[in-house]
This record gives sequence, structure tokens and C-alpha cells, in this order.
Amino acid sequence: MKYHLLLFAISALSLAACNNGKQSAFTGDVVSTAAPVGTIPEESIYNLTDTFTTQDNKTIQLKDFSGKPTVMVMIFTHCDYACPRLTADVKELEGRLGKNADKVNFVLTSFDAERDFPDQLAKYKKDMKLDDNFTLLHGSDDAVRTLSVLLNVQYQKNQDGNFSHSNVITVLDPSGNLIYQKEGIQANHDETLKKLNELLKG
Amino acid sequence: MKHFLILIFTLLTALSAVAQSVSTEKKMVRIPAGIYTPFFKLPGTEPTPMPAFLMDETAVTNAEFLEFVKANPQWRRSKVSKLLADTNYLKYWKSDLEIGEKNKELYNSPVVYVSWFAAKAYAQWKGKRLPTVAEWEYAGTAPLVNSREGTLTSYILNWYSKPNPKVLPNIKSTYKNTFGLFDMHGLIWEWTFDFNSFIKSGDSRANTTDELQLFCASSTLYVNNKSDYASFLRFSYRGSLKGNFCIANLGFRCVKDLK
Amino acid sequence: MKTPFSKKLSSFISLGAIALLVGLQPGCKQGTDPSAPFDISKIDTVLTGTVDAELTEAPNVPKPLTYTSPKRVKVTLKVIEKVMNISDSTQYTFWTFGGHVPGNFIRVRQGDLVDFTLINSEDSKVSHNIDLHAVTGPGGGAEASNTSPGQSTNFQFRALHPGVFVYHCATAPVPLHIANGMYGLILVEPQSGMPKVDKEYYVMQGDFYTKGKYGAAGLQDFDEDKALAENPDYVLFNGKVRALVGQGALTAKTGETVRLYVGNGGPNMVSSFHVIGEIFDKVYTEAGSSINTGVQTTLIPAGGATIVDMKAEVPGTYLLVDHSIFRAFNKGAIGQLKITGDENPSVFKKLK
Ligand SMILES: [Cu+2]
Repeated sequence: MKYHLLLFAISALSLAACNNGKQSAFTGDVVSTAAPVGTIPEESIYNLTDTFTTQDNKTIQLKDFSGKPTVMVMIFTHCDYACPRLTADVKELEGRLGKNADKVNFVLTSFDAERDFPDQLAKYKKDMKLDDNFTLLHGSDDAVRTLSVLLNVQYQKNQDGNFSHSNVITVLDPSGNLIYQKEGIQANHDETLKKLNELLKG
Repeated sequence: MKHFLILIFTLLTALSAVAQSVSTEKKMVRIPAGIYTPFFKLPGTEPTPMPAFLMDETAVTNAEFLEFVKANPQWRRSKVSKLLADTNYLKYWKSDLEIGEKNKELYNSPVVYVSWFAAKAYAQWKGKRLPTVAEWEYAGTAPLVNSREGTLTSYILNWYSKPNPKVLPNIKSTYKNTFGLFDMHGLIWEWTFDFNSFIKSGDSRANTTDELQLFCASSTLYVNNKSDYASFLRFSYRGSLKGNFCIANLGFRCVKDLK
Repeated sequence: MKTPFSKKLSSFISLGAIALLVGLQPGCKQGTDPSAPFDISKIDTVLTGTVDAELTEAPNVPKPLTYTSPKRVKVTLKVIEKVMNISDSTQYTFWTFGGHVPGNFIRVRQGDLVDFTLINSEDSKVSHNIDLHAVTGPGGGAEASNTSPGQSTNFQFRALHPGVFVYHCATAPVPLHIANGMYGLILVEPQSGMPKVDKEYYVMQGDFYTKGKYGAAGLQDFDEDKALAENPDYVLFNGKVRALVGQGALTAKTGETVRLYVGNGGPNMVSSFHVIGEIFDKVYTEAGSSINTGVQTTLIPAGGATIVDMKAEVPGTYLLVDHSIFRAFNKGAIGQLKITGDENPSVFKKLK
């Protein structure tokens, strides 16, 4: 019986996929009543309905970060140069926020769907000494690509399993609207900090 | 035995139903396995084996996209989210669900003014996906069936030596390549799944000394064939895109993995 | 030699000379010389309002700027791919900044903050960007301006160095975009302004490569082989055979001082720029800060520019040429400056 239910569920899903695109990353319904968390503005990145898994193995959607300003970056944990530095940049930004740091989400999404499973993300979080304002996310190739398109992050998987990627720090407002972006490693983040503080006053 | 016959009958009926619905489906071409040599030679992008896959014979047409929009109200022009498609989305259609009398010649022309998100949603709705840059380039490098029409590069260069036609021609109006694909060049540009995979810096160490910059001459240090101007144009074009852009000469076709 | 020379120049200016003078006179006041251009801390950067830049089509040059403190200057250039005549019988699909070759002339002042918008026309086939040699920043703006058809991009830069600079499209493949006509000039006036002259003109040389020979009728495709071999069919001033001839000739009256802002878009040829029957009173060598005087022919590198001043003394028709002379005779590199007015027999007179 269980088996049949499963089959039914699968066929229902595949039917949905064929008939109305419900499996597409964006159903578009999200701007109407479908979104449970109040209303998400039309241009908010929180309209992305793909699910991600955190370092603690929790399944979430991006809109779960709504309510606080959010700093987003994309990395992969096997990166031996850029990503640790980019992560350090975000940590430094957090430090500069002082007490306000707790009022901001810091979200690191991995490019690496094949290696950066929750355990590995938890390890990276620990190794990089990231506190609980940080969330690390694993997503499907499709979800990660979609997020990268929305965040204007370029990346490509190389044959050795590593990634070439651009380094971008993004600031989102509490509703998920893209407020500010800064490209580069060890860049000057005065403006990033200013934008965050404005959002916190806000 | 009787049961068995009934079963067979049912199966046959089912199969023919499937066959019927498939017959109205777009023809897909089997792209054979081979070696893909990336245009940009960077650490980690050496020639790689490419498995065989299926690719739409032509770009998705207006008529085909209309079916998608009918079945998926959230992708109608009046409903689509600005995050996912800019204000140019399907702007030449008469209305949400009408391509329009004026556009009669366009029913069999590639759909354009569609965003990456829309193209991706269409592919998923069809149980397909968008090709990767590697797949698209691999499929697109096959030469013309009729070699008297010239080399691929000269064919493409001649395409943009001419201004855009007033009315976008129908699919299959340009050339067929040796894989059996139509109009890979010379009609429109096409979306790819990882169009944003072009990296300005050569590798993930972001070492400034080997930054690859498409806008300057240094990019030629890293390419396969410096005189392949057509490839440069495609990579530059992809590099200028954002996911919600809807552009006059940009459409798409889908691919599917072989089981 | 330096002292009388620099007195003569108003201040655009021989930086070398000034640097030398400043160096020799350590006691002289720093920062008061309005022409000291290269130290950003000495440039007045406090903005006083916003203006839209006047853009002109060659051979016209925007009016000299009248404001004396930096402004935010808005510049909008639109990329248009269009078929135009390259000669009376021949058409070519040009890629242009503003709908003509060369692109619009842009005039700003040292210290201005330029707010630059690049629009790519909806019916363009390819993406384009802009690299302005006047920009200090990644790619001269190219990195920030790769623009899809139907889209626009926006960036800003501070005009630090005075001079006239080439701008061009730098989208890969760069040579193709330049060979199709994507270049123009931007003038950054020094804080003290350009010395006054009576007439200013905009001339830009470029070389073109077509499948058919020079003058072959009809729409001609770009010829990559000829471009690689650096063997142009056309070498032109202002994008068309006879653009500066007859109706299009530059004009002046005797007694007037004429200034030409001359750029060279290339993509390949270096210009040996000469005006037959004239001697350049001043040449702002490579459009930099050193001024040469009494020059017959001046080199303009591909991707470079120059400013030449000359006084119209004797009426007549003077030919602008690339003195690599086959180009002038056979490939179109010829223009006219028609000077009208009273004869000046003490300078020139035909004797029998
Ligand atoms: Cu261009």
C-alpha cells in the first residue's frame, strides 16, 4: 500500500510537471495568496520557491530569511583560495556591525551540490568559526543556478570538481529585495556596512 | 489468457495514445557522444567527453510557447513577475493568449522576447531542460550539411553582416547541420542553462594576473581559435545577459538526457 | 626655450614644461596652477550641478564649455547597427555610437563626474560596450558596460586627465567591432579651458575591410582575411568616401584659426596625418600635454588622437590626407578644407 501511495505521489508530481509547470522554480503564484509569510514583493529574491538544506539538515526556502536584512554570498567549501577569503570578508563585516550583528542573516550558499552536503557545511562552519548568525545552504544544481542568476554571480564547474566563480557580496532587505552588491575579495565594505546600517535603522 | 489479451489490448491502446501525443511533439535529434573542446582554454576546461543527448530539432516556436502560456497562467504577459521577465516579455503578441493576426507569419518562427526563467519553465513543463553552454556549443559546431553554403564561421559572420530582417523568418529557414539540427546559427541567439558561467577571472583563486577579460584583447590568450569571431560574439552576448532579459533576437530550444 | 614658449601657451598645456618649472622652483606655490592635472587631490572635484553633455555628429564639435567648476555631466550614447553607404555605390553594415561613424563627439571638463549611459538598440544583433580612453577604471568602462540588445548600462567616472581621447567598443571580438566603425572622440578640457580658436572640427580616420574591392557595388560583408592581413579596402575620414569632400568639406575664412580634433579608430592603420599646403602651428602631440610647433605631418596611432591648430592664411582648397599616400589616392583617405577670403599675396602668389 505504501508503495502504491508512493507511486501515486510520483505520478501526481510528474503529471503536475507535465501539465502546469508546478515544478518550475517559480510558479509565479507566490505573489498572490500562495505565500504564507505575508506578501513578498514582486522583485524579491524570496520568490524563489526551491528548497535548500542547511548545515543542520533543516529544509528551508529563502523566504524563511525574511524579516531581517540578509547578507548573501555563494561559495564552495573545497575552494582553497577565494572562498575562505570571501567568507572572512563576511565575518569581518559581521564584526563591524557590533551588537547589530544578531539582527542580520549571513547566508552562504554552496555551488557544490555533489560535495557540500550538510555535514560538510557544518564542518566548514566550524572550521571558519562562524557563529549562529550564519546559515550555510546546500541546494540542487537547478536551485543553485537559479539563485546565481538572481544574484548575478557567475560560476562554472571545472573537470576537477572545483568551481570558477565570481565573488559577490549581496545585501538584501528584510523582504528579499536586492539592495546592494559588491564584487571582489578583500574589497572595501564601507558602503556595504552603510547599507546594512540603513536597513537596520529602517 | 483472456486477461492477457485484454492487457495487451490496453497496452496497445495506451501506446498508440502515447504515440499520438508524441507525434504532435517536437522532433528531437540524437546528438552523438564525442569530445567537447571548450572555446576558452582555462585551467579545468580541457577537452572533455560529451555523452550523447537529445536536442530539439529547432527553436521553440511562438505557437508552441502559446500552449505553455495557456497551461501556465503565471507565465502570461499580464501576470508574469518582473523578477522573472522584464517588461519586454512577449511584447509583440497581441494579448496574453493571442499571437495575433498581424503576426500570422510568426506562428512558426522562434519565440523571442522570453527570459531565461520563462525558457527554463517551458523546458520543465515539457519534461526537458535547457542545454548547457557545453551542450549547445558542441551541438552548434557541427558543419552545414550543404557545404556549398560555406564554412560555419563564414555563414555566421554573414548573418550579422546583414541587418535584422523586418519579420523573423520561420524555423528551418536557414541551414541544417550534420547532426540534423536546424538554425543553430543565423536565425536567433539561444538561451543556455548556465549562460552566466563565463568567469572573468581565470580560476577560483581570482589571481589578478590571469584574469580573463572578455572586453579586452587579453581574452585571445585563452581561446581555441583566435579567428573564430563567431564564438567570441556568442560568449560576449551571453556575458551581457541577465536572467530576466527579454530580447528581440533571443529564444531557446530544449534538450533531454538519453535514458 | 621653455620660458617664452610656455608664456605663449595658455594653459592646456605642456605639463612636462610645468613639471620642470615646478621642479626647478621649489618655492613656487603648489596647487594654484589651474593646469596641474594629474594629482587628483589638486583637482577641484566638488560638483556644482548637473548638465547634459552636448553631443555632435562629425565634423562638428560641441561648443566650448562655459562653466568653471566641476559638474555631473550626463552622457547617453546609443549603439545602432545600420546599413549606410561607405561609398556612393557601396553599402556596409556599420556598428555605430549614435548612428554614424565616427560616434558622437563628447566634450567634458577636467574634474567633471561623467554619468555615462550606454544604450544598445533593440534591433541590434550583438552585445556592445564602451572603453573610453579618458576613463581611469577597469577596462575604461568596458567591464561595466557590456550591454545586450534592447538594454542599457550605466557607470560613472571622473575625468582626471585633460586631452582628447578615443573611445571604442571593446566587446569581443574587439577587432570586428572596431572594424565596423565603433569609435569616436571625447574631449576633456583642462580646468582653464581650451585656448580659443575660430573654428573647431572633428575628423576621425578608420580602415575598412570588405569582401568586394574598393567601390564594388552593393552591400558588402566584412572580410576577416583582409582584416587579419591588415590590407584594407578603404581608409577613410569620417566613415565614408568623400565624407569631407565637396558638400562635406570643412570651411574657414582667411585670418581664422582652425583646430582639428583628429582621431584614429584603426583598427590597423597608423595615420601620417597631413594637410597639403598647410603647416600645423601647434600639434598637441598624441593629444597629450606637450605641444609641438611648426609640424608638417603628425603620426596618429590607431586608438590615438591629436589636436592640430593652424591659421588660414591663403584662400584655396587644402587636402587632408593620410600621407601614406596610396591610401589617399586609392582607398579614400582624403578630405578638404576650403578657405575663402582675400588673397594674401605676401604669403602666396602665383607668378605666371
Ligand atoms: Cu560593439
